[in-house]
Amino acid sequence: MSENIKINVNGNQIESTPNKLLIEACEDSGIHIPRFCWHKRLDPVGMCRMCLVEIETPRGKMLVPSCTTEVTDEMVVDTESEVVKKAQEGVLEFLLINHPLDCPICDKAGECPLQDQTMAYGPGESRFVEEKRHFEKPISISEIILLDRERCILCARCTRFSDEISGDPLIEFIQRGNKTEVNTFPNEPFKSYFSGNTVQICPVGALTSTSYRFKARPWDLKSVRSTCNGCPVGCSTELNSSQNKMLRILGVDNDSVNQGWLCDKGRYNFEYLNSEFRLKNPLKKIDNELKETSVKEIYTELSELISDRNTNINFLIGTNSTNEDYVAFNEFAKNFPTTNQTFYLNDDYLYAGFFEQDINRATIDDLNNSEAIVIWAEDLKENLPVLYLRVRQAVKNGVKLIVFGHSNSTLEDIADFYYSEDIVSENFEIIKDISKLKGIKEHVKDKNVTAIIGKSTPYQLDEYLDKLVSYLVENSNSKIMNAFSSGNTFGAINNLDNVKNLRDFTKNVSSENTDLLFIVGSDPIGRSVFSNEIHRIIEDIDNVVCLDLFLHETSELCNYIIPTSSTLGEKEGTFTNIEFRTSRIDKLVPSPGQSLSDWEFISGLSNFCNFINNIDSLDGLNELAYQDFDNQDSPSFKNLDKPSNFDGIINDYQPNVSTMPNETITSQYFVGKKLYGDNITIRYSDSISLLGAKQFIEASESTIEKLNLSSGECTLKQNGHQVSANYVVNNKLADGVIFIPQNRRNFNRFDFSETIEISPNQSKEALNVN
Amino acid sequence: MKETLLLTKHMRENPEDSHLIDSYEKNGGYETARRTLINGSPENVLEEIKASNIRGRGGAGFPTGVKWGFLAENEDRYLVINADESEPGTFKDRILLERDPHQLIEGIIITCFAANIKNAFIYIRGEYAKPARRVQDAVEQAYQKGYLGKNIFNSEMNLDLVVHLGAGAYICGEETALLNSLEGRRGEPRLKPPYFPAVKGLYMKPTLVNNVETISSVPWIVENTGKEYNKLGVEGSTGTRIFSLSGHVNNPGNYEIEMGSSFGEFVESLGNGIRNNKKVKAYIPGGASAPWFRGDQLDIKMTIDDVANNNSMLGSGAVVMMDEDTNLVNAAKSIVSFFAHESCGQCTPCREGTTWLEMILDRVASGRGRASDIDLLLDVCDNISPGLSWPPKMTTICPLGPSAVSPITSLMNDFREEVESLIPTKVLL
Ligand SMILES: Cc1cc2nc3c(=O)[nH]c(=O)nc-3n(C[C@H](O)[C@H](O)[C@H](O)COP(=O)(O)O)c2cc1C
Ligand code: SF4
Ligand code: SF4
Ligand code: SF4
Ligand code: FES
Repeated sequence: MSENIKINVNGNQIESTPNKLLIEACEDSGIHIPRFCWHKRLDPVGMCRMCLVEIETPRGKMLVPSCTTEVTDEMVVDTESEVVKKAQEGVLEFLLINHPLDCPICDKAGECPLQDQTMAYGPGESRFVEEKRHFEKPISISEIILLDRERCILCARCTRFSDEISGDPLIEFIQRGNKTEVNTFPNEPFKSYFSGNTVQICPVGALTSTSYRFKARPWDLKSVRSTCNGCPVGCSTELNSSQNKMLRILGVDNDSVNQGWLCDKGRYNFEYLNSEFRLKNPLKKIDNELKETSVKEIYTELSELISDRNTNINFLIGTNSTNEDYVAFNEFAKNFPTTNQTFYLNDDYLYAGFFEQDINRATIDDLNNSEAIVIWAEDLKENLPVLYLRVRQAVKNGVKLIVFGHSNSTLEDIADFYYSEDIVSENFEIIKDISKLKGIKEHVKDKNVTAIIGKSTPYQLDEYLDKLVSYLVENSNSKIMNAFSSGNTFGAINNLDNVKNLRDFTKNVSSENTDLLFIVGSDPIGRSVFSNEIHRIIEDIDNVVCLDLFLHETSELCNYIIPTSSTLGEKEGTFTNIEFRTSRIDKLVPSPGQSLSDWEFISGLSNFCNFINNIDSLDGLNELAYQDFDNQDSPSFKNLDKPSNFDGIINDYQPNVSTMPNETITSQYFVGKKLYGDNITIRYSDSISLLGAKQFIEASESTIEKLNLSSGECTLKQNGHQVSANYVVNNKLADGVIFIPQNRRNFNRFDFSETIEISPNQSKEALNVN
Repeated sequence: MKETLLLTKHMRENPEDSHLIDSYEKNGGYETARRTLINGSPENVLEEIKASNIRGRGGAGFPTGVKWGFLAENEDRYLVINADESEPGTFKDRILLERDPHQLIEGIIITCFAANIKNAFIYIRGEYAKPARRVQDAVEQAYQKGYLGKNIFNSEMNLDLVVHLGAGAYICGEETALLNSLEGRRGEPRLKPPYFPAVKGLYMKPTLVNNVETISSVPWIVENTGKEYNKLGVEGSTGTRIFSLSGHVNNPGNYEIEMGSSFGEFVESLGNGIRNNKKVKAYIPGGASAPWFRGDQLDIKMTIDDVANNNSMLGSGAVVMMDEDTNLVNAAKSIVSFFAHESCGQCTPCREGTTWLEMILDRVASGRGRASDIDLLLDVCDNISPGLSWPPKMTTICPLGPSAVSPITSLMNDFREEVESLIPTKVLL
């Protein structure tokens, strides 16, 4: 660690570390310097000139931007001199002369750095009497983002974010001087999975989102800090509501996890909360029709089934619940000691290999601190988006990246070594000697390595991954992260005894061994590759209880349906992320009708049946979840609610997962997930619903030629099931490989292990969708 | 007063074909480079440049030997010739490019030998179509002869030289904007610190950026020694300079002279006086960015230091004469318009301020000014260049913003009544 240095700011000594930017050094000591373009997570550009301060130099006092000047020992700084004040006032006046001042109709008004700093540092009135610069008022630069160039102060935050952080520089400056504007390129919309971040960091209302536009004024907003449960990254969020409606989600700067960023799915997939299609009352199936009923009636009927504690119960459990919900189910299951209860996680990618090998677990920060990163998993950008950003960051800092992925990974562009086709077979097996690969020899063998490993497709055999994991464990100082990609998977495997996966469900569960099936927040029929089998099984079972937000392909098959509160904003609890970091989920808005949290329902049932469980309070469940931990390190509410733990607490719990090794079912197709799918929540979130609606397949140009496709559209057919889809040329895919996104509508009904007939469809131009 | 021809000798004596390699070689061209590469040492070349005390001809007047000494060690280093000459009134690099490109190439070869550089670039202003063609042809001839490429003059030295055309932006003459542009980025100046070209230049590698005239002087200096060069001109402004004389003079044009005589002498003798025997009202001593001198300041000496001591700059060597009939508000306005148009738009004070100044001046010039406009002009200037002092302090990233301030402060300091006379008088009560 470098020695501290002393600098003098406005006559006071403050301590800092060498190479720190002056603006940060001052901030650390509570001295605020106004700024527009500087952002802690972006490279400084010194463009707005708002942060000018005076420093003493051998040639007298000099005005310098504090956001680009590094502190040096004994530096003497004045942040409040007359010259500084005049310069700042001047900059503000310059920024305002062409500003439209449409604050009364601007989303940013009330939390706008331009407004705030004008109040604090600006001139009182305008001396500009000419006509202001005009641009067409907001233009759409993507399906979800609008740009008002009149409001833009050209701070380059959005352009830098896109270039430096997300690596898709689709928004840029064009023209020069007084005509400079931010814009996208012709025919290339701002189609980024991370575009919402630019709206958040834009210091004015130039970038706005379709979802929040004109919805509220900041002073009317209520907010809580929470954790995104969209994927296992578990980004820190702030939820905003007005009049009991969730209106916006912002990223919170959690240094170890998301560093302020969110993906657009995490940010915008909330409008469903306010959907008119939410379930409000319990339903019961009578004569094949769903009728409203009461929770009490459902309890009564279920208790008849289970109160002798001799029922065979199975759980198909989703990844959208809190840890406390999982604990409640786990405790509930213990009431049936003589029968078998199994928790099947609604995930076709989960496998147990990790937990059978003696691996060291990686944290996200380990990415930055290792010599190399090895990745073999689903496409990170599509499935663990903010983790993708953190990998990019590590690569930018010089960490070597080695990626396996038999085709089509967005990491290909940034990888130092990308092993596909000749090295990874179409069945996703590494067919070369791992130890002989150049990237492994040079950067992995005997080095500090962080690996991100998970199945690339549901059809991949566990043993293929095991082989790479064993190699890493034996030959390098490796830490490994399990790239499971759905919601609170880690909370589920941490808090449920003996978790299995969806494939196991299709093999194990039948009406013969299941008297009662609970389906919790899951739509495997709508989303999984085992859709058809699961459909048959559920239809066969006599008593199926489902807890869900919506009616969908799975819930509509059930006998009892309980409306539930969403983990997003409607309940309290905890979430465990990909690093086994547990953090707070908080409640901001009420849930509709008679909705219950999962744990409330199950604890009510337990009480109704006179089972003795201590699962009837949230605090109790939370304590139960962490009873095995040292008091201090336990991620209990008590500890998590201390400010020093807001970013979460990592635990070393060894989960109990035991999936069956999958037998060789191969698929001729590359089946994977896209960020936006036809999930029920996305379908009911208006701003983004279209992004997940298009049906398409991807293949290389030559593959498309071989399929005789030409019109941009094709038809997929199998056993009478038929879907019309677009095809997208993706020349990164190996010859003959066809990528099919399993989470687009109606694709789930195909059996990907059998041949699907793909034939041309004579109409329309090729559409560019993904 | 007479010219001293070092750089323009060959072109003056061979007006038809000075741009061709045959003519250049017939007159001893490439001999210095050949001898240096075969028998000389990089250290000696650097010694000669230092001894010559030549200062950069691009505008800033930085000692060239010192600059070369700063170049950081690295496997890859670059030389970039700044041929973006766009400062209004400046047209001296043009003749060096158009009429003696081989002299520049020879200078580049020697410079790269001295600095151990294997890749050099000439960045030529986009509008200079003919000079660029001439330079491109010359580079091709030099490659054919083996003076560029591998094993130049059968020595160990390899050098590749690329000619690159700008797209018509004055700001790309600022050396770091030039490097951005050369890399294919927006032509915007980089932050200094930390991006000093000699440490982090082209592609973040150490880079020498020198003006065309500076590097065209290298063959003469190495051939005739730095000591001889140092004898020309005066202390602090050694050697010759090509001054571009324009405005209301009888004989405008480029003149190569030793520094040290007065502007008055220069205009009278080589410029043949002001047209129609008018008086000089004001003149620009060193390009559009330079504060003006009054007509009664013609005895100031044409040296870097004398001009600086009188609060202006010799800059790029563009001398513009304005006679007694000149409407100075219009003159200032057209200079300010130029800078507003050429601002890269990166930093707020320059982007917004220069255009605002242009608007106010336009109002005043067309008789729609307000009494408050004079103070407003000066205050807007002060917000771009605090204190309105010389050399300018700046709230901007690069000196372009403050360049737009120079003509206005000149106007206000010395010709304020002329501005006031254009503002409609107040109603008397
Ligand atoms: C706004 C601006 C424009 C400039 N334009 C030019 C130019 O056109 N040609 C040039 O040689 N130098 C120009 N310069 C100076 C260069 O930045 C740099 O100092 C010069 O190329 C260095 O070469 P020298 O040391 O040989 O003079 C300009 C500087 C500024 C601030
Ligand atoms: S749109 Fe916003 S973030 Fe982008 S440059 Fe303009 S003000 Fe900055
Ligand atoms: S990366 Fe995952 S946790 Fe983060 S915002 Fe996106 S969906 Fe939510
Ligand atoms: S002063 Fe003007 S030209 Fe220079 S960086 Fe700023 S905006 Fe660009
Ligand atoms: S914050 Fe420093 S220049 Fe913008």
